[in-house]
Amino acid sequence: MGRVEIIIGSFLVIISAVFYALTYQFPQQTLAFSPKIFPRFVSACLFIISAVLLLQGITRVRKGSREAKPGLRTNKAFMVRLFAGVVMGYAYTRLLPVTGYIVATPPFIAGIMLLFHEKRWVKIVATSIITTVILYILFRMIFRVPLPRFSLF
Amino acid sequence: MPSIVQGFLFVLHPMHFPFLVLGVGLGIVVGALPGLTASVGIILLLPFIFYLDVSTAMVMLCGAFCGGIYGGSISAILISTPGTPSAAATVLDGYPLAQRGEAGKAIGVATIASTSGGIISTFCLMFFAPKLARIALEFGPEEYFALTIFGLTVIASVAGRSLTKGLISGLFGLLIATVGIDPVEGYARFCFDIPDLMGGFSLLPVLIGLFAISQIFVQLEMIGKGVKKFDQKIGKVLPSMKELKKLLAVIISCSFLGTFIGIIPGTGGAIASFLAYNEAKRWSKDPDSFGKGNIAGVAAPEAANNGTTGGAMVPLLTLGIPGDVVTAVMLGCLLLIGLRPGPLLFKENPDVVVAIFAGLLLANVLILLLGVVSVRVFPRVLRVPPAMLFSIIFTLCFLGSFSLNNSTYDMFIALVFGVVGYIMQKYGFPVAPVVLGIILGPIAEDALARALIISRGDWSVLFKSPISIFFYVISTLSVIYSLRRQFAAKKAEKERASRD
Repeated sequence: MGRVEIIIGSFLVIISAVFYALTYQFPQQTLAFSPKIFPRFVSACLFIISAVLLLQGITRVRKGSREAKPGLRTNKAFMVRLFAGVVMGYAYTRLLPVTGYIVATPPFIAGIMLLFHEKRWVKIVATSIITTVILYILFRMIFRVPLPRFSLF
Repeated sequence: MPSIVQGFLFVLHPMHFPFLVLGVGLGIVVGALPGLTASVGIILLLPFIFYLDVSTAMVMLCGAFCGGIYGGSISAILISTPGTPSAAATVLDGYPLAQRGEAGKAIGVATIASTSGGIISTFCLMFFAPKLARIALEFGPEEYFALTIFGLTVIASVAGRSLTKGLISGLFGLLIATVGIDPVEGYARFCFDIPDLMGGFSLLPVLIGLFAISQIFVQLEMIGKGVKKFDQKIGKVLPSMKELKKLLAVIISCSFLGTFIGIIPGTGGAIASFLAYNEAKRWSKDPDSFGKGNIAGVAAPEAANNGTTGGAMVPLLTLGIPGDVVTAVMLGCLLLIGLRPGPLLFKENPDVVVAIFAGLLLANVLILLLGVVSVRVFPRVLRVPPAMLFSIIFTLCFLGSFSLNNSTYDMFIALVFGVVGYIMQKYGFPVAPVVLGIILGPIAEDALARALIISRGDWSVLFKSPISIFFYVISTLSVIYSLRRQFAAKKAEKERASRD
């Protein structure tokens, strides 16, 4: 756990310092309240608290204390699944405007079901098609959300 | 203000009532499913409520809120897995009762206690909220700033095990809130010439990402870890009149206890239910039977956790300060549908306020009806395959984000915050403070700006008003209390470790 705190603490110290530095680009104060006041205050506080986290991490590593591990254990297979889930999500956001809702959604649902170890193809196909249709009726027909349609141009 | 009768007439209208039933039903189902909390239920409803009028949307949200808190008890009793954190205490006696073949009775008592808690707390809300709102109407910008600072100290209370990590989460939320055009001079802050960032991060995709998508990733990690199943008899559902009479004192006192705890910002259902459980055990003639299937051990926490629903709405509606994680999400929802909680809500939207009151009361009556009628369906709900459930939720999350601005950019933001939320949960950073920071940050900045502009840059104005000083004092006390609680928890943990 100590190492994680060092990594996250260092990352946040850098990020907060960058955000603080960026406030120098903001325009000079014209009113009694400047747009830089609040971001500066927040990034300065984040810098201090992140430094505290960093120090806590360093102390823990030095002591070699056996702190409780994070609640969720990571394994390689899960990391692959997580990565695949994120990639599928990203691909869906990119494909949706290109292929349209009807084409992009069933493969996305099927992909997520496969990630959750669903092996029965009938169930996968049925769920992806029925869900796509129900959500289409709900969003497009009832709530009139203009879901993207397939278009070559 | 319109009378509550008008509120009832509105909610019971055939065009509005089905939405309340839908909200309560969805809340119960989502609350019952382990891994999905009441907050997730409310967030999943958000894309749909955009298309409703504000009062109907609020009624539906109130239904989902109450239903979600109650739903957590079902999986707690049937499979010893609390659906929501506030049902954790219900496991202690609910599950032993289910193992004895009395699952039906445990759910029946949980339903009656939840209804009682919800109704009593709504009456308290109806009594206290207008009075508090009248006082809050006198607040100027400097008092509002102090009040928001008090709201931000709730971060310390919902920080979880590490105050440092809780504060980092809250500050991360505040920093995110500064992205976009600033409210005073209109300068684009931290936009890096990306036009989409000019408007800042929309609250809906952020909420969907942090609470719902991150939870899907968490569930992805749980695959193969063996899901508990309920394969026993439900048995008799309603307790006898004699049993009910015995429980009456526990239910009513714990309903009031839950309401009182709910009013205090930074507490919430989990604290209320454990406190109520301990009190019920302390006052019981047979404390040794607690933990082994004492029905009062189900009634007490359930009355208290649903008691917090109306209680937590008091600071939320009158001051715009959320009491816990679920009400922080509710605050976000209110802002998204165009309502600004606070004293002006009572002045400008009294019809919405009475609809909320009536909605909460009727939602609790519906909990009683739906809870008793569908008790035999609950084990089936818990058997929904995760692959089907989470693939549908993932798609719903994306479409919900898309529907806000009809933009795939919001879908991308939801995904990014889903990953951020997952990483935060994995390494012990609570996500609730991020939401508090995102919501309260702009309100605090706006109040500070107005106070300073009116006083022509005189910072001392922030400390002149007695009301402001009062809020600074209780903010300090709130932080000290949270710190003490954490030190005590750590000390107890160390003692336990050394004993082992």
